[in-house]
Amino acid sequence: MNLALYGTCFESPFLVQLQRRCDRDRGVRKARSISRSRATHVVASATRMASEEGVVQLQKGIAELYDESSGIWEDIWGDHMHHGFYDPNNLSVSLSDHRSAQIRMIEEALRLAAVSDDRLLKNTWVVESSDDMCHKENPMKRPKRIVDVGCGIGGSSRYLARKYGAECLGITLSPVQAQRAQALAAAQGLSDKVSFQVADALKQPFPDGQFDLVWSMESGEHMPDKTRFVSELARVAAPGATIIIVTWCHRDLSSEEESLKAEEKKLLDKICDAYYLPAWCSTADYVKLLQSLSLQDIKAADWSQYVAPFWPAVIRTALTWKGLTSLLRSGWKTIKGALAMPLMIEGYKKDLIKFAIITCRKPA
Amino acid sequence: MRLLTHNMLSSNIKGVTSGFPLRLEVEKVVEKQVDFNADFLNNMFVKIEWKALVDASRAMGYADLPDQTEPSMLDSDEFLKKFHHALLELHLEEGALICPETGRRFPVNKGIPNMLLHEDEV
Repeated sequence: MNLALYGTCFESPFLVQLQRRCDRDRGVRKARSISRSRATHVVASATRMASEEGVVQLQKGIAELYDESSGIWEDIWGDHMHHGFYDPNNLSVSLSDHRSAQIRMIEEALRLAAVSDDRLLKNTWVVESSDDMCHKENPMKRPKRIVDVGCGIGGSSRYLARKYGAECLGITLSPVQAQRAQALAAAQGLSDKVSFQVADALKQPFPDGQFDLVWSMESGEHMPDKTRFVSELARVAAPGATIIIVTWCHRDLSSEEESLKAEEKKLLDKICDAYYLPAWCSTADYVKLLQSLSLQDIKAADWSQYVAPFWPAVIRTALTWKGLTSLLRSGWKTIKGALAMPLMIEGYKKDLIKFAIITCRKPA
Repeated sequence: MRLLTHNMLSSNIKGVTSGFPLRLEVEKVVEKQVDFNADFLNNMFVKIEWKALVDASRAMGYADLPDQTEPSMLDSDEFLKKFHHALLELHLEEGALICPETGRRFPVNKGIPNMLLHEDEV
């Protein structure tokens, strides 16, 4: 980033610190570009096998971003760190409506995973599984053990544990998030049901086949190795378990395309920088990965139209007095993230960014 | 970290074939009262690796769990209370989880285990 924009002719400690952070961030970008240039095609053009060094740098950046920003997010938006699910016809949404929308997002995701074909929302497609089971009613069994992969401050974990009376384990790269998640669980009388660990979604610290519901709500976009990410989700899933992935994807490529257009990649790169995201993949790439692991009942949907009010609302809250003062107190990573929000809106408007959900079942 | 969680964690280091159960290195144990729920305990009983629970609870200073169990024990209120206490009320606040194969320490701070691996362990 160009510090000349700040136009000072003396070195203020703040700017020196800013420059050091930029240099560190540049190190992360370099690691990411190294990993990109050594990319191996595993699934179409989208999955990037990141170098281990690049991955470690990225994960450090992710942990630091969330260590820094979770508090300010929770202060304004509450304990769910994901998009709301909105009625496309209702254009005026208040802050309390957003909270209900975030809960609706969880419920709609569960509904998609459980529901039979004729009650699906539009823009959902059912993938032919190799066993052709997709047209049968295959309701989700009530889960007893749930894993929340990329759990944030535990909003989903607590909600699902309460809803199903189930045991829920959450994993996050951020020690600050894990502590906060645990504190909230204790405050809500859920210490016996939910627990949180600092752990890597690419190497989950669990034996095989332990969970009835494997939940990943807006964490997939942080995973530098989609193949490993999805393999781990499948590994820890018990026979008959449901896997639900809600994540940011780029548009599916047409059959003639080998990659996104140059200007599309440029926009995504800027977003990746700000949010510590590795290379994006498409919804179709996820579907292929699930198919390659012989998972069944695969359903995928584009929910971009149902999340449209979200980013404008986040920007509005950032621009309030409380938002601005919190941002200034938070840290460079959070500020950079906030500045990148209009890029997300641009990405959605250009039909480049898709809010995707993919669900499936592990064979019994 | 309560022992219910410990019963679900394993070492994920590359090449390790038997990473469960993790041994406990105990520095600070905290007892936290949790409401008794017989249904929950009955549901959990079938999923628990019993030996791992017994060993872990002993490491935490609680020696009241029987070495072996049979389903009829679930009818005993006394047994359920001991099971409840060991599973849910004993917390490892500070210490570590040790990989049984490699001896690698996964620290536990303020009750949260850190299971992140270094580059060379992945």
